[in-house]
Order: sequence, then structure tokens, then C-alpha cells
Amino acid sequence: MPATGPQPAEEKTVRISDRRFALCLMTPAALFLAVFVAFPLFRLVADSFFKISPIAGGPRDFVGLDNYFRAFASDAFMGAGWRTLAYTLIVVTLEFALGLGMALLFTTLGRSSQIWRTVFMYPLMIAPIVAGLLWKFLMIDNFGLIGTLLHQAGILSNPNQIGWLSDPDIVLYSVAIPDIWLTTSFMCLVLFAGLQNIPGDLIEAARLDGARAPAMLFRIILPLLRPVIAVALVVRGIDAARAFDTILIQTNGGPQSASETMSLLIYRTMIRFGDPGLASAMGTLYLLAMLAVAFVAVSTIWRPGKDN
Amino acid sequence: MRVAERTKNDGGKAAPVVAGPSVPTTTRSSGRKRRGVNREGLEAGRRSTRALLWVLLAAAMVLYGFPFLYLLFTSFKTPIDTIAVPPTILPREWTLENYTNALGRSGVLASFINSVQTAIISTVLSLVLAVPAAYGITRYKTLSGRIFIMAALVTRMVPPVAIGIPLASMMAAVGLSDTPIALSIAHTTISLPLSIWLMSSFFEAVPKDLEEAATVDGCSRLGALWRVVIPVVSGGIAVTAIFAFLASWNEFLFALLMTAIRSQTTPVVIANFQTQFGLDWGSMTALAAVYSIPVILLTLLLQRKIVAGMTLGAVKG
Repeated sequence: MPATGPQPAEEKTVRISDRRFALCLMTPAALFLAVFVAFPLFRLVADSFFKISPIAGGPRDFVGLDNYFRAFASDAFMGAGWRTLAYTLIVVTLEFALGLGMALLFTTLGRSSQIWRTVFMYPLMIAPIVAGLLWKFLMIDNFGLIGTLLHQAGILSNPNQIGWLSDPDIVLYSVAIPDIWLTTSFMCLVLFAGLQNIPGDLIEAARLDGARAPAMLFRIILPLLRPVIAVALVVRGIDAARAFDTILIQTNGGPQSASETMSLLIYRTMIRFGDPGLASAMGTLYLLAMLAVAFVAVSTIWRPGKDN
Repeated sequence: MRVAERTKNDGGKAAPVVAGPSVPTTTRSSGRKRRGVNREGLEAGRRSTRALLWVLLAAAMVLYGFPFLYLLFTSFKTPIDTIAVPPTILPREWTLENYTNALGRSGVLASFINSVQTAIISTVLSLVLAVPAAYGITRYKTLSGRIFIMAALVTRMVPPVAIGIPLASMMAAVGLSDTPIALSIAHTTISLPLSIWLMSSFFEAVPKDLEEAATVDGCSRLGALWRVVIPVVSGGIAVTAIFAFLASWNEFLFALLMTAIRSQTTPVVIANFQTQFGLDWGSMTALAAVYSIPVILLTLLLQRKIVAGMTLGAVKG
């Protein structure tokens, strides 16, 4: 920060009071987050060391790390962990591929495609619960439209040949579809904006050097987009790892827990199975995993608050 | 825009037709002119590439737009046709029966009011907290500000399922359980970090001279913020408000954990249709359509601002 005050003493007093003023401005928001995020988190971690009766006012017994041992020993927890990871990878990879494709398409078509860019954005505004419902309706057995259309097109021998949401082997892919449909637009938007920032001269120079389309994409465009891609992947990865609404409404984690991700498992352990202690331990582990990712991401990619 | 016009040659034979390597004037008219040239005297290869790209775009748009259109069509079918085997795309008979069924159900209209109330309270709360905080962070680049924005970003990683139950019991302890206020506070935990992030980007773009001039003119710092800076970033505040509103409007998990009967929002009601009344697909699609259309229209109206907000946050980082 450039010093503007002519005398060092005066400069110092001004800066201290500036700092205090800045602090005053931040305090309400900081207090809010402390009370409504940090404190509940503290409660969560504290609860993870107790065996808690689901009935309000019921007994609370300190059990040390027992809930953590139980979590690691349970197939449900380990399974949900792997499914969450797989789900996140599926969602983010497909979204990135589709989003980049659309962003390149919009860029190559230029201004004339602007209105379609807007239309393409609409799923972003739809509630995830509605998106889940919508796709469930398209994929459901018997009266699902996708099976019927594929059957009529001669691809499937009968409309129910693929049990999108009832076959445990493929259900994790099926439940990812609404999520991909909802937020590919976000990926596309961010990458599109990044593409607009690539200097035209650079592309021109590459073209004069005779670069063909694939070389242009992999040698020039993608490396230049790297920071934007990193941010987009991290933001979406964290959201995907927390997915709940779309899966709950489509399958409720079934069949046979084949689509039960971590959020769903914690929710069911807490509400349905009435074991808040175990659910808290799972939640704490889940949170630690997310924070580890967040920490690496923030410290290497975002570096907020610094000027770029 | 220059980039946009040029990269279109990616796909095919490089065409040196495109205007010289450095044309600093990127006005709209020049773009239009160039496009005009493209349309008339263009070599076949490039024209066909372009046509192919348009076909690709059309296919993508149809695939992308179809699911919601199908939801709309279905909502106009008769309740029986909704689950007919095999399903038809268009209704055999257009009717509003699903809509009257859905909206006539007890609790549905109340849930709309709850959704609106919760979203408005949460939006106001986010703005009131985020605007000064973001200003403090960007204008005075102090260490505490840097730590704070980091902490706010980390908050984004917290899974709602982890804090929903403790939050609900806190609200019960102060007698706020099952109220729109409690839910809007929960929603603000999601929208506040996002709002701080967005507002910081907008404040970053305001030239510092502006408020320095105001302070020299005898404004206090708070006065300068209120009378000079805020009007300049009002567009940014609008964008932030839209995002905060949408975050609350579409939120489901907190609403599921923290509301019972009195303050239930529409997403919870939509989900409950599945269990409470068997599988009433017709009413579900109608209610989903009613709930989505206002926000889709809002977005199409304000699309420029929304695009600005999304890209600012993510690209500038």
C-alpha cells in the first residue's frame, strides 16, 4: 500500500485507525459466521465423542473415539466415501468436457450466438430438487421417456431394458445426470469468460505459424485457461461432493445404497437411524476431508485478497 | 470479441481474409461489418464449418432445453396421462387440472409465501453484512481482512448436513424453531460467503480516488462509503442480491432439517408430494413449473448482470 502521508508519524496514526475502521466493517459478518457456522461446527465435533439418544433431553454418554471406530468399521461409511469420490469425479469430468465444448462453440460462433448463450444458462436457476424430479421422471421405469424414445428409435429392444434408476450398477451415473445438466452452464460461462481474455494476437500468431485446431487447443488455449479451469473445477468439485437434493429425490440413496453418497448417509444416520453421535463423527470426518481439499485449493489457486 | 471472431477459424483452413493482425478498434460496428463480409464473399470451407457449428449448437440447445419443456408439457396433461405407458411428449389433451390440484392442496400456497419471505430476509441479511465487510476487505488491505476472506471462503466447503442439526437445536433454544427467520439465517450461512466474495470483486473495480476526493470534501469515511461508493457499485449489489435470493429460493437441505409445518418452503413440499400422497406426478410437475418459471424469467431479464456476477467471482478470483 503506497504511503501518502508526508510525515511518518502522521501516517502511522492514520493507518492504525484505518485498520480499526476496516475491522469494524468486518465485525458483523465475522460474528455472524462465528455464531452460525463455527459454533454449530464446534457442536458437531463435540457431539461426535458422545453416544446420544435421539430423543430430546435423552442421555448423553461420553464414549471417546468410539463413534469414529464405528464409522471406519462400517461398510456403509466406507462405501459412501468411495461413492462420493466417484460421483464427484463423474460430475466434474463430464461437466468440464461438455462445458469446454460449449464454451468453444459459443466462442467460435461469436456474437451471433449470444442469445443462445443466455438460453443455455437457464438450468442454473432451477432448484436442484426440481432438476432431480425432472430427470427422475425422464428415467423412471415404465413411464420414463428416455427408455421409450430409445426403444422407438430401435436402440433398445424394450423400454425398460436399462433400469436407469433401479440397476445398482449404473444408478450412480444416472443420479449424476441432473447435477451435470444443472451446472454445465456454470462451467461453460466461466470458461467462456476465460476464453474472451485470451489475447487475439496470440491466436493469430499461432495460426500464422500453421497451428492446427488440436494443437491450438492443447498447446495454447488450455494452458492459458489453466487458472480459470482450476477455479472452476475446485468450485464445482466441492459442490458435487456435497450433492444431496438431486440424489434424495431420485433414489433416496437406493437401490441397495448404490447411490448413497456421504451427505445422504449422514442425513439418514442422523434422522432415520437416530444415531446423532455416529452421524456427527461421520460429519466431522467428511468435513475434515473437504477442508483438506479446500486448504490445498485455496493456498495454491485462489490466494484471495492479493492483487493479481 | 476480437478473439471470438478470430478463433472461429480454428476448425478449418486458416483464412487470411480476417482483418490484419492488430485492429485495436473493437467496436460493435466493425464486428458487424466483418460478419457481413463473412456472409457474402466467404470461401466454402469456412462457410460450411460455420454451418456445421450452428447445427451442433442447435442439437445441444434442443437436448439441453428439452427436459424442462417436457416437464412443462407434462404439467398440462391430465393426471392419468401423466403416467401413461408409453408416455407421449405432448399432452393428448391440454388441461390445467394438475395446476388446480397442486395449488389447491393445503400448505402449498403457504409454502410459497414462506419461500418468498425466507428468501427476502436472507437476501437483506446477506447484503447488510456483506457490503461493509467486503468494503473493509478490499479498501484497507489489512492482514485481518485477508484472513477473513479466506475464512469466508472456507465456510463454503462446510456441508450443510453437518451444521443443519446443531443449527436447528440452537434456533429451538432461542424459541425460533420452525420460523422463516431461523431458516433465512441458515440460508445466509450459504449466501454470505458468496456475497462477500462477489462484493469484493465489485469494490475492487472502484477507483480509490473517488472516495479520497469525497473525504477531502469533508465526508467521513462512512459517509464516503454510503454517499459515493455505494451508488457506484449499485449494479454489483443488484447482482449479489440476485444470487443471495436464488441461493435461498432453491435451497432444500436446511429447509428439510429446520422446518416442520409452519415455515415449510416449496422445495420441501415438492419433495413431500412423493411420499405423502403416493406418487402424484401430475401435481409435482405443475408445482415444479410454477416454482421455476419466476426465476427463469427473472434470469432472462437480468441475464447480463448475472453473467457478470458469475464470471467476476470465478475468473478474477
